Amino acid sequence: MLVEIAHFLTVTSAVILLLILFLNVFFSFAKPHANQIVLSNKLFNQACFLIFISFGLYVYLAAIDDFSITYIANHSNSQLPVFYKITSIWSAHEGSMFLWIVFLTLWSVLFVNFLSLAHPLKKGTLLMLTLIILGFLLFLLVTSNPFDRILPFAAGEGADINPVLQDPALAIHPPMLYLGYVGFVISFSFITAYLFYGDFNYPWEKDIQTWSLVAWIFLTIGITLGSWWAYYELGWGGYWFWDPVENVALMPWLAATAFMHSLFASSKSGVLKTWTLFLGIMIFTLSLFGAFIVRSGIIDSVHSFANDPQRGMYLLGFSGFITIIALAVLAYRLPQLQSSKLIVAGSKESFLSMNNILMLTAIFSIFLGVTYPLILESLNGNKVSIGPPYYNTIFSPLILITSIFMMASIDGLWQRGMQLRKLYISIAPTLFVSGLGVYGIWHFTQIFSILAYVGILSGLLIIVSYSLKTVSALRDKTYLNKGSLLAHVGLGLLFFSISMNSILSYQKNINLFVGGEQVINSKIPQFQFVDLQKIKASNHDVISATIFLIHDDKPIYLNPEKRKYFARGQITSETAIHASFLKDTYLTIGDQLEDGSWTFSLQINYFVKWIWFSSALMAAGIAMTIFKKKI
Amino acid sequence: MNRVFSLLLILLPVLILIIYGKILLTSQEDVTALYDPKPIPQFQLLTLQGQEILPTEFDGISLLNVWASWCITCLVEHPFLTKLSQNNINLIGLNYKDSKSNAQQWLKKRGDPYKFSIHDPRGDLAFDLGVTGAPETFLVANQEIIGHIQGELNQEKWESIFVPLIRSIEAQNP
Amino acid sequence: MKAFIFTCSVLLCTSSFMQAEELYSFDDPRKEKRFYSLISEIRCPKCTSGSIASSDVPVSRDLKQRVYELIQSGSSNAEIKNYVKQRFGASSDYKPAFEGANYILWLGPFIFLGLMITLFFLRRRL
Repeated sequence: MLVEIAHFLTVTSAVILLLILFLNVFFSFAKPHANQIVLSNKLFNQACFLIFISFGLYVYLAAIDDFSITYIANHSNSQLPVFYKITSIWSAHEGSMFLWIVFLTLWSVLFVNFLSLAHPLKKGTLLMLTLIILGFLLFLLVTSNPFDRILPFAAGEGADINPVLQDPALAIHPPMLYLGYVGFVISFSFITAYLFYGDFNYPWEKDIQTWSLVAWIFLTIGITLGSWWAYYELGWGGYWFWDPVENVALMPWLAATAFMHSLFASSKSGVLKTWTLFLGIMIFTLSLFGAFIVRSGIIDSVHSFANDPQRGMYLLGFSGFITIIALAVLAYRLPQLQSSKLIVAGSKESFLSMNNILMLTAIFSIFLGVTYPLILESLNGNKVSIGPPYYNTIFSPLILITSIFMMASIDGLWQRGMQLRKLYISIAPTLFVSGLGVYGIWHFTQIFSILAYVGILSGLLIIVSYSLKTVSALRDKTYLNKGSLLAHVGLGLLFFSISMNSILSYQKNINLFVGGEQVINSKIPQFQFVDLQKIKASNHDVISATIFLIHDDKPIYLNPEKRKYFARGQITSETAIHASFLKDTYLTIGDQLEDGSWTFSLQINYFVKWIWFSSALMAAGIAMTIFKKKI
Repeated sequence: MNRVFSLLLILLPVLILIIYGKILLTSQEDVTALYDPKPIPQFQLLTLQGQEILPTEFDGISLLNVWASWCITCLVEHPFLTKLSQNNINLIGLNYKDSKSNAQQWLKKRGDPYKFSIHDPRGDLAFDLGVTGAPETFLVANQEIIGHIQGELNQEKWESIFVPLIRSIEAQNP
Repeated sequence: MKAFIFTCSVLLCTSSFMQAEELYSFDDPRKEKRFYSLISEIRCPKCTSGSIASSDVPVSRDLKQRVYELIQSGSSNAEIKNYVKQRFGASSDYKPAFEGANYILWLGPFIFLGLMITLFFLRRRL
């Protein structure tokens, strides 16, 4: 009964949204009604609240094990802790789409009500948001209904979700990611309204800056969580595979980064307006593209939801529809948007332009890497595999170019070019220290890889230049944007850590009997297979190994496990990690060989903690910018 | 210049829409990969009966089917293979990572549709063929591999993938 | 009797010690590095995505073993990749070959960048 109510509420919401559209179309032909916007706003709020109530009901039903609902029966289980019963809602297509819409609605209702009634863009934004939410609601209700029931008999027990998904990090990764993704519907809709409205002197940047910054933080955290989870759960020691589904999360992030910088230039100096408007539209477009890729079944990935092409067609069509509306109105307004000012070479604006270009190139490269194999395969069936070797090769020079421009831009001035002499003075120490750093690392590690060293140099250029800037700002008591400093140093540290991780990490495959031990290398003189236990847990069998090892004079105990889950017979491997400042000792247990011995895979992964820390720094930097409220 | 940009802003998304629309539609049909014909790799294996295998066994048109007693999907395709062998298709088995006794027992229990089966306990020949698991089937014409199906062979795949290839070979050598 | 049991236990312990060995043991650390780097560039033929380094299915293990043997016997990285590609297809290399249509793939980003920079210098007004 409750699920039918939830279903009914969602349908009603869609009807109300449709009503809003009709009313406004009607009013724009008839005489504009004074209370038109008030009425629309009220209706919109109601529609949004209905969706929230509906989702609340759904969460309740999942928590109480209502297995008469098909989706809940397929993805939950009575043995699961309540937390995972709820998070199982977004473990597959229908439920995660529902969550997506809830967040879309959440952002929308907050922003629409934030805009005052007198705000010239309120109506346009509200209409655009109404259209978008309606489109996705229809998608949900027509093609991906989470409210379907198994009739006449409810399932006795749920099918249990993939045990790999029963993990706290993985449980919050989608919500974080979605909050980020859909947060940019605000900039999309607001900008589209702005372009329709036509008064281009209106200071639109201020209205959406904070909202976009918040969405950016969520996106950063969401991507990092996914990466972190992949690292400690999947057992292969990597954290990013340039899988198409990872890539489609990265593209909006790059667009968002470019957008935030461009927004800054636009509000400060009036230039890059067209760029900024374009980027503000593109972020959400790329998010939609991501949703399409993941849910259409077009990509085979461990990540993607298995789906039928009809859903893909709808998503593609609808996303294309609203994107073309936005870009068409941008195209139409292009002549009026042109700035009267020419960008001065060597000015801060020119550096920000370069940033936009570089970000766009990065987005293009990823888009190419995702699309190219698909086109090739659909044309003549040839399959080509694109992965880390491709992306690392392409991104390495891009990152270096980016870091060089970042370094040069630190002392840039608005609307004035930099004197070349000043530029040389400011970058010479950075180049020197960075070069020294690179040499030092090469000398100490005796390992060389051109791609990695490009990354190390890039990271150092950024870290050193921003550090030197901090020192001189403190010394001269000039203004220092701490948020920007943190975020940029975080980025530089990310480049640095990723590169160091790639050159220093190594792994060893080991084969031991219980009780056996061996020497691994000079840093790990002892590796002992102490014990093996077989345990029975509530929904799985466990084989737990106890390993004792000495790594750089530190004694470490590790307990890698293999688990077999009853519900689906699935076998997973639980990695044992000892994370220290510079490196992670990372151990997985493999198979038992015919002679009774066990295989282990030992990895020493360097600078991993630094990678997570870099990400946190970037998020913290952005957060600081919000709280300082500086444009 | 502005007009060019305006045009691009609209044309590019439309272009991408069309491209992805087409990709979505073609992924529903079976796109047969153009298979580069390659000669059967050399091997030193014997049949399950312990006999030597001459290369001439692969003259004409034959199917090389990878199977094993531990392979569950092989049970699913077994009736279809039997049907094929009864229709005069030259069916040769490649017994993959299996013990002789298990393999022979399996054939005894379910029927042997193969002219003979090559015993490949370590998967050496299978590896050289690019086999990723059982069941898989290769279409061989005059000692050259001209087609490959992964997963179980059924009427649909037979008709859409192998039959056209067989016809084109027969057209070339009447 | 006690001495006998003791000796047996000692022998048993040391024998498990002596039987311990690395699955892929290398004497040359450069070969070892090459191995781990190569297996992360070869696609697992059976998995939806991922390299043979991150996969434990039987065909991945066979491939890793073969790559190990080929490195030990002196084959170059290119030879090893060709060996794998001959058997499992061109898509088993995560680094697409630099030929034919793949030029678009490898050069595309840089052409795009060049184009954008040129446009920027021409317009400087956006």
